[in-house]
Amino acid sequence: MKKKYEKRMASIAVLEEGFRRVAYIPNRQIATTVYLAHHLEKPILVEGPAGVGKTELAKAAADYLQLPLIRLQCYEGLDESKALYEWKYGKQLLYTQLLKDKLDDIISRKNGFSSAMEKLHQYDDIFFSWPFLEPRPLLKALQEKDGAVLLIDEVDKSDDEFEAFLLEILSDFQVSVPEIGTVQAVTKPLVFLTSNNTRELSEALKRRCLHLFIPFPEAALEREIVCRRVPGISERLTRQIVKFIQDVRELELKKVPSISETIDWARVLMILHAEVLDPVLVRETLNSFIKFEDDVGIVTEKLHQLTAVAIRQ
Amino acid sequence: MERVLGEFITAARVAGVRISISETLDAARAMEMVGYGDRALLKDALSISLAKTAPEKEILGDCFDRFFSFDFFDGVPGRDCGAGEDSPPLAVDSPLVRLLMEEDRAGLTAAMTEAARLENLSQIRYFTQRSLFALRLLNRMGAGDLDNQLQALRAVDTPAAAAAAARLEAAKSYLTDTVRRYVQNRYDLFAGNEGERRLDSELRLVKLSNIEQRYFARIHNLIQRMVKRLNDLHSRRRKRSRRGILDFKRTLRENISCQGLLFSPSWKKKKIDRPQFVVICDISRSVLRTVRFLLLFLYGLNQEIAKIRTFVFCTNLVEVSGILDNCPVDEALTRIQGGTDIPLIMGRTDYERSFGDFRRNYLNVVTRKTTVLILGDARNNYNDPCPEHLKAIYDRARRLIWLNPEVPAFWGAGDSEIRKYSPYCTLVRECNTLDHIDRLIGALIRT
Repeated sequence: MKKKYEKRMASIAVLEEGFRRVAYIPNRQIATTVYLAHHLEKPILVEGPAGVGKTELAKAAADYLQLPLIRLQCYEGLDESKALYEWKYGKQLLYTQLLKDKLDDIISRKNGFSSAMEKLHQYDDIFFSWPFLEPRPLLKALQEKDGAVLLIDEVDKSDDEFEAFLLEILSDFQVSVPEIGTVQAVTKPLVFLTSNNTRELSEALKRRCLHLFIPFPEAALEREIVCRRVPGISERLTRQIVKFIQDVRELELKKVPSISETIDWARVLMILHAEVLDPVLVRETLNSFIKFEDDVGIVTEKLHQLTAVAIRQ
Repeated sequence: MERVLGEFITAARVAGVRISISETLDAARAMEMVGYGDRALLKDALSISLAKTAPEKEILGDCFDRFFSFDFFDGVPGRDCGAGEDSPPLAVDSPLVRLLMEEDRAGLTAAMTEAARLENLSQIRYFTQRSLFALRLLNRMGAGDLDNQLQALRAVDTPAAAAAAARLEAAKSYLTDTVRRYVQNRYDLFAGNEGERRLDSELRLVKLSNIEQRYFARIHNLIQRMVKRLNDLHSRRRKRSRRGILDFKRTLRENISCQGLLFSPSWKKKKIDRPQFVVICDISRSVLRTVRFLLLFLYGLNQEIAKIRTFVFCTNLVEVSGILDNCPVDEALTRIQGGTDIPLIMGRTDYERSFGDFRRNYLNVVTRKTTVLILGDARNNYNDPCPEHLKAIYDRARRLIWLNPEVPAFWGAGDSEIRKYSPYCTLVRECNTLDHIDRLIGALIRT
């Protein structure tokens, strides 16, 4: 089965270049994983600390491959009717009311009860057919003709039952709708699952996926990311910001700042027309990347030292 | 190349990465995709398809480096043997000798790995096999020819021949050394953790009172794993039964007001009772260790799975639930034994007084839903056992289970009163290994 975007997946280098064009800077491991996932037709389970670009990866993939991004946000209590499909009950009721006269006709023309029943039986499936089906993200992803990028976000927040239910989709790219039958994927979607490790995922789920762990990026990579994401920022400031953040990550904080916070901070500094870091500026903008009171205390204590090191960059 | 992957996966499994067959297949396909050309790429591909957690990735990476290391023949000797320039007329007829003389590292490595393949080196299991495998590998590589040549050279009595012999000798000892190192490397890969794993499975069965202090950390680890399994098993079941299936009768009843159209379905709900445990432990020295592990187990359980109240006794009985709820079991036990903040007398064990204490002060804790666990050896120092107190508890409880850390052969011997108590127990069990505790608690929270 040839996919429309086959060309964009020709090699790892092409893929890496393409991701860069849509302003997502992958390390080689990320590119390799996406490449393999496409060719092996396997879902990718992405893990890593919050804010390193797990969700962003799926978005970038959709952007680059020019596919629709279908997103399913998981939460506790999420079930099939929210994730897969639901019958349009309202429409069904409305139609039965509208067709009431029609039904009377069908039934009354027949004399016997049993023959009326028989007649009715010929129609019963009408109300459980595609027009009355409301596809939810998972079904939608399977129905996309040219394929899609399916993002199942924070799968660790869902219940065990839902996780088990995902298995069918992830391994065979098909779902069973009892009233209609098994629905096969038209074109197999590229699936990303993200997890923050709030609970251990089941072995069965992990086995079906390729596993990608995105760590905090190295300084060089992070600088590149900031440059891409915050256009117009000077190289000197980028260096200083990244050095500062990388040093802050070494401290023992409740929540260490991740890439998304680095970018936020860079944007904040851009708005303030800052050219270089200085302690006062850092203190005033600290809350854009440190989110806990205790952490603010710890960083403030070492602020001068950290800034001094960063400025030397 | 399938074989290489197979061996690598064996090595990774030994190192502690869990790899299933489907993952093996994925890895094989991934390897086809990326090829063997780029080492870093290959490593990435394997780590993506085989390892499924961050720590596993680390182990796998390390394993990869060790498995695919081919720099065994680094510093090739021979140059410094004196007979460098006037290369003696060596009648080179064995390929091994030629490889050694020409210092062909790649050739030597290839010969060695090929020999390892033919000799099934990946089957190595015990450290005693190392010399045997090294010898077999050497023979396979043609060390016999090397020896023959050496002997032939020694028979000729010229300086040149002597120099050549010395050079060959050095090369031989170097070769032997390298093969030994290689075998050791493979042994570490394929059998390194074998002993450790065996230890784990044995620790489950060994008597708790006999476990040495140095294994405690390991035992804690084991207990954590066992408890996690129990938690996983039972939290899942609890959730399912909470939701329930469609309650058709109730749905009909409630929707009568909508002309019988089924607008709002209602579901059957089952109320799940958390098992309630009352644990009464003898903490005299003879039983203390078992108590410790039992408590570790019980307090590892999810709060949602079980409700626990704990009492300890020696001469008298006191409640210690508060201490155990607030600090880890180890710390709690030392505090209890130290007895500074609780009125516990650590004299002779007195079952009569202790059970009497319980009956007088805490009998209302025991209800129809309570499972009472008593852990003790029932050795009452020849005092009156007074089973009436136990009967009073037994009558109120759902069930009363007595865990005895002694083997059944000693029950009733000497001052053991277990025979007098057993009529008032639903069950009397021997309990002195981790396996006993695991099985017991599994059975308890299942019902």
